[in-house]
Amino acid sequence: MKILVVDDFSTMRRIVRNLLVELGFSNSLIQEADDGNNALTMLRSTSFDMVVTDWNMPNMTGIELLRAIRAEPKLKGLPVLMVTAENNREQIIAAAQAGVNGYVVKPFTAVTLKEKLDKIFERLAANGASA
Amino acid sequence: MSTTVSEAIGETLPPEVRELLNSEDGAAFEQALDVMLRQREQHLFRALGLLARDLHGAVRRLGGELAHEGVPDSVADARKHLGDVLEMSAKAAHRSLDFAERMRPEAEALANNAAEVLAFTDSQNDPAAVLARQAQAFAASSREGLNDMVLAQSWQDLSGQRIKKVVVFIESVESSLLELVRLTGALAGGEAPVTAAKVTSQDEADRLLSEFGF
Repeated sequence: MKILVVDDFSTMRRIVRNLLVELGFSNSLIQEADDGNNALTMLRSTSFDMVVTDWNMPNMTGIELLRAIRAEPKLKGLPVLMVTAENNREQIIAAAQAGVNGYVVKPFTAVTLKEKLDKIFERLAANGASA
Repeated sequence: MSTTVSEAIGETLPPEVRELLNSEDGAAFEQALDVMLRQREQHLFRALGLLARDLHGAVRRLGGELAHEGVPDSVADARKHLGDVLEMSAKAAHRSLDFAERMRPEAEALANNAAEVLAFTDSQNDPAAVLARQAQAFAASSREGLNDMVLAQSWQDLSGQRIKKVVVFIESVESSLLELVRLTGALAGGEAPVTAAKVTSQDEADRLLSEFGF
């Protein structure tokens, strides 16, 4: 499974990558981008199976990236997990309305990340089966 | 036919006004009133002038501090210090992550070696098997501890985001101050410089400040 990790902090990208590897995802299939703009460029040129993105980033924020993904026919079905320190009601609602697949509030544990990922895949499987 | 001003009000007025109000000469009354108003206006303008000069002086001192490099409590330096903290904390977090990434495969190798030993001998009386079990337990708890350590490094991201917000705030205070310097510079006798209100770099800030002799 090819995953794109988007965060402007290199430490956080590395932490998320570490956790994903620990959860069984292949390290060599994980790629990183430091803002929404670069992420979008990468998503357009290479095919990914999932995006894990921060909210607060320069140039293009996580919510803008999410909206851009949903607006593009080629990318709109891509699962997006938001991992962010932003935890106010309005932002969570905005993310839900923009079509986020999961929302993890920092600081988080490996267990929380696993739960949210499992839920995303369960829902995708259910949608796939019913479609 | 002349009506005198009531005693109560009359007492609070200066004698010359009282006299004027009671005078029947309309032209003299208006002229005197005019002179009095002009005197008041001059007082007001003088006070405003002093206020503008004080404000300019205060902003000038502030601007001087702003442009003065190397002073720890100057605004520009405060911003730089925060940037340094951000960079140092990122380096420290990466070092911890390096350590976790280096140790994790070693813990895994130890667990695998122990499993191989246990495949040969699984007797509770065999010291090799006992040691292999201990090694397996150690490898498992090391792995867990390393994961916790990796997660704990997220403090850098959380504190770093706050630091970035403070840097943005300082930048806005800085540009407001510079705008104030520009405005008071214009007030104090010169024309407002054509420079746009938004100042983006230290060089621009220094250039703008130098236009006012800071």
